[in-house]
Amino acid sequence: MNPFISIMLLSTLILSTMIVTISSHWLFAWIGLEMNMMAIIPIMMKKPTPRATEASTKYFLTQATASALLMLAIIINLMYSSQWTIMKLFNPTASILMTMALAIKLGLAPFHFWVPEVTQGIPLTTGLILLTWQKLAPISILYQISPSINLHLMVTMSFLSILIGGWGGLNQTQLRKIMAYSSIAHMGWMTTILLYNPSLTMLNLLIYIIMTFTMFTLLAQNSTTTTLLLSQTWNTMPIMTTFTMLTLLSMGGLPPLTGFMPKWMIIQELTKNESLLLPTLMAITALLNLYFYMRLAYSTALTLFPSTNNMKMKWQFYPTKQMTLLPTAIVLSTMLLPLTPMFFILL
Amino acid sequence: VSLVHINIIITFTISLIGLLIYRSHLISSLLCLQGIILSLEAPVTILNSHFTLASIIPIILLVFAACEAALRLALLVIVSNTYGTDYVQNLNLLPC
Repeated sequence: MNPFISIMLLSTLILSTMIVTISSHWLFAWIGLEMNMMAIIPIMMKKPTPRATEASTKYFLTQATASALLMLAIIINLMYSSQWTIMKLFNPTASILMTMALAIKLGLAPFHFWVPEVTQGIPLTTGLILLTWQKLAPISILYQISPSINLHLMVTMSFLSILIGGWGGLNQTQLRKIMAYSSIAHMGWMTTILLYNPSLTMLNLLIYIIMTFTMFTLLAQNSTTTTLLLSQTWNTMPIMTTFTMLTLLSMGGLPPLTGFMPKWMIIQELTKNESLLLPTLMAITALLNLYFYMRLAYSTALTLFPSTNNMKMKWQFYPTKQMTLLPTAIVLSTMLLPLTPMFFILL
Repeated sequence: VSLVHINIIITFTISLIGLLIYRSHLISSLLCLQGIILSLEAPVTILNSHFTLASIIPIILLVFAACEAALRLALLVIVSNTYGTDYVQNLNLLPC
């Protein structure tokens, strides 16, 4: 793409999220979300294949509907409070509508159907932007309206997300769809704790962004998009198999790695608020996620996948793709657990 | 609670249902999206009771609605270029 257009689109993307996070007027938050959608659709259509076209159309339809519902919630809030300041909402109807609109934007169940399809149709790095940067703006709005969100709606949506993120990813071999279902499940974990302690939502978002960034950068090194291609990395870049396995286990939430920290904190906060059944079910359902991560780690690092003999003797070239921040991201996504007290106090 | 409010709510609901239920053409869903935003202009413009100063908020809302309409028409053109029509049954590549 023309470098001027690329710079303009990326700067609009970054600016739009900044506008949403720092605004105090509801119209500006809505404007930021609209700019976000408008900036990312040309990025998704870099190569105008039919798959990218379909992904862009589906993404646009869902996000535009969510923007319209958000505007309705803002106007109902305006009717009942006569002011445009972003604070807790003053009407239960507005609160429910806004929660549903932001859930459509984030990809929470039962509004999750667009996430695997759209992630599948776009290139890997664009999928990275979609699954990490696009979550910042809606979660910042949810953080600000969190005192007035309906508890039953939020807990239902988040628990349903964890279930669907777990079971949906089991039958996939396409890595982008696996990452999309993992995103749905992690969003579920994040929004569970939103009503009890919103700082932990931010902590979970931060750790999730680091781990997903690591995973996508590792996948983009070899442009692997299926499990079959991922199982060939022992031949082309052997060290990537170790990193892939560690990052996948961290995303599954295994203890000495970073991914355990948000899950531990969330279960602790939920039990402090005397809800015992929900964290038990959440922890058990996280095993489904762990199963398909383990399957990927197994086929990548622990066994030789069945392949033809020609595939086993590739040349090992020097990597020409830029590994931006990859060593930093790998260290951050596997070794941050001893710093838990710092994060707990900071956020 | 008055008749004007009920009218606007019914407009919004009909446009929303039209957006969610479309049979074969993509363009009908795009029209309904425009109708939704149009029905949201009315409370912001008219129903600010006793607010006598001029406000720019409805104009900004219309500007962003127009930008969104341009984007959705561009996407419709690309879909029409790849498939020839805008039937929604054609968008079936991605669930595989």
